[in-house]
Amino acid sequence: MALLRYIGRRLLFVLPQLFGIVAVSFFLLKMIPGDPALLMLGPLASQEAIDEIRSVMGLDKSLIEQFIIYLERVLSGDLGTSWQTTKPVMEDLLKRFPATMELVTLSLLFALIIGIPIGILASLLKKSIINKFSTYYGLLAGSLPDFWLGLIFIFVFYTILGWAAAPMGRLDLGILPPTVVSGSYFIDSLIAGDWETFGNVVAHLTLPVLTLGLINAGPIIKMTQSTMDRLLESDHIRYARSCGLGEFQIVRRAFRNSLPSVLTIVSVLYSFLIGGAVLVEIVFSWGGAGQYALSGVLNADINPVMGFVVWSAILCLVLYLIVDLLYFAIDPRLRD
Amino acid sequence: MKVLYLYCKDRPLIGFGYFFVFFLVILAIFADLICPWPPQTANPDDYLQAPSWRHLFGTDETGMDIFSRCIYSIRLDLSIAFLGTAVSAIVGTAIGALVGYYEARGRLKTVFSSFTMRALDVIQSFPVFVFAIALVAIFGQGLYSIIAAIAFVNMPIYVRLMRTQALSIRQMRYVEAAYLSGLSDVRLIIKHIVPNSMGPILSHLSVNVGWSVLLAAALSFAGAGVEAPTPEWGSMIAVGFKNIVTGQWWPSTFPGIVLGLTVFSFALIGASVEVLADPVRRRAAIAKY
Repeated sequence: MALLRYIGRRLLFVLPQLFGIVAVSFFLLKMIPGDPALLMLGPLASQEAIDEIRSVMGLDKSLIEQFIIYLERVLSGDLGTSWQTTKPVMEDLLKRFPATMELVTLSLLFALIIGIPIGILASLLKKSIINKFSTYYGLLAGSLPDFWLGLIFIFVFYTILGWAAAPMGRLDLGILPPTVVSGSYFIDSLIAGDWETFGNVVAHLTLPVLTLGLINAGPIIKMTQSTMDRLLESDHIRYARSCGLGEFQIVRRAFRNSLPSVLTIVSVLYSFLIGGAVLVEIVFSWGGAGQYALSGVLNADINPVMGFVVWSAILCLVLYLIVDLLYFAIDPRLRD
Repeated sequence: MKVLYLYCKDRPLIGFGYFFVFFLVILAIFADLICPWPPQTANPDDYLQAPSWRHLFGTDETGMDIFSRCIYSIRLDLSIAFLGTAVSAIVGTAIGALVGYYEARGRLKTVFSSFTMRALDVIQSFPVFVFAIALVAIFGQGLYSIIAAIAFVNMPIYVRLMRTQALSIRQMRYVEAAYLSGLSDVRLIIKHIVPNSMGPILSHLSVNVGWSVLLAAALSFAGAGVEAPTPEWGSMIAVGFKNIVTGQWWPSTFPGIVLGLTVFSFALIGASVEVLADPVRRRAAIAKY
């Protein structure tokens, strides 16, 4: 019951935020200099033709009416057409977002797998080398451009050593993508039980996941370490210690209590990476949503850009919603 | 200065951060004297040369000297980052001070405050990088668009930092005293609230400059920032991108190293400012001298 009320209250916040996102994207669109009708028809168009297009596009209506039309369109999933692919933006995005999400999710999982143990160890062994290492790792990882690190990895592991798959997309050219279920090749090839494809997918994922994972492990280490530092000094851990609990039990308890902060930093990184992975996507020709939006920016194809901006903001909202539900699962205090 | 020296004595890496930024500024000022080759002149006879004494960092596919280009990039990248950060800090601090000072003070003022904060929530729910790219797309490519985009995406942090500070400082006795002695709201904010809440903002500034360098380079790498012949680290990495698969590593590697070291140095400085701006922690850090 408490859960339902919690979700209900949380959903109440989502609606105004959603409205805000659509409003901001609308005003961004309106800020583009120049008359869209004129841009469409070119400078030689006659006044009648311009007027006609303006009334078809609804540009002769008031700003508020235009906003309502825009709102209706976005809510019905119509984000316009991309002139580059000549397809509806919605269709393009549905194909490309799974690629981005797959990359980002696996990278963050990898970052967690290396980040949490190092963070915990650095917090437990104050004077050890691992403590120093983790301090500077955080600063360094935050300073390196991920796209550059990706290039260096390509040079070392593909050009010189020849271990990695060619940095050209998500699959080798000769291999057909698995039947679409989720859109993520990683999951779909597992569902299909096609091990050859799966192996190829993993080979292509390795380098980009390594790049993004190593960079994003920095903040995770830092957060784990500082939270564990605080918790190991806290009253309830001191109590547990004076009760004579073993070191393993104590770490387990402290770690469980540090989960909310780790979750917070993961959600921040996740929302950043939905758009921020675009450079790594370019480096590995990943064909994700960010890359699609970027080519829209560079070719004055505005619909894909706005579609991507709106949808990634919506995905972030969903993400924060899920994270709040996870807080609910982790932190028993929220259940009262 | 003395405090800084004592602090860095035990922490050579932080000392390195300060040294490196100082070194960069010197290089940027005297770039004309230091650089052996003009940064934008292509020399077709020397294309894709490996690093040698003639070309310290090698040359790119058009034959431009990478060492010279790396040094000239400092001017552009640091100016963009400093300007972008300065604009976002000034605007953000001003808004934050107003919001914090007026929060829960009369109906209209409260509406203004909560409206601003909700607007920030919405802005921050857009992915930072995409938002920056969209801004550049809208304003058109160019230097001012990049600076505006950087300033815009960084602003919410300053508003939040300043608001928290203003909320607590406005409760202080001396602010109340100043208010009773008849100071106007604006003067009160400028004279008392802002100067007394600079600590966290200063320590964020340095980190933010580094981060802005990274963002500017990332925008240029993506093709939405500074364009190719102009020397800029991000676009240089993008130019060398094609060559790395065929084994010419130098056009991308060197600008990346310089860029990484720059951002790293600003992060180190930021970490030390955080301690040095706080009198208690500062004293503890240099206690043994």
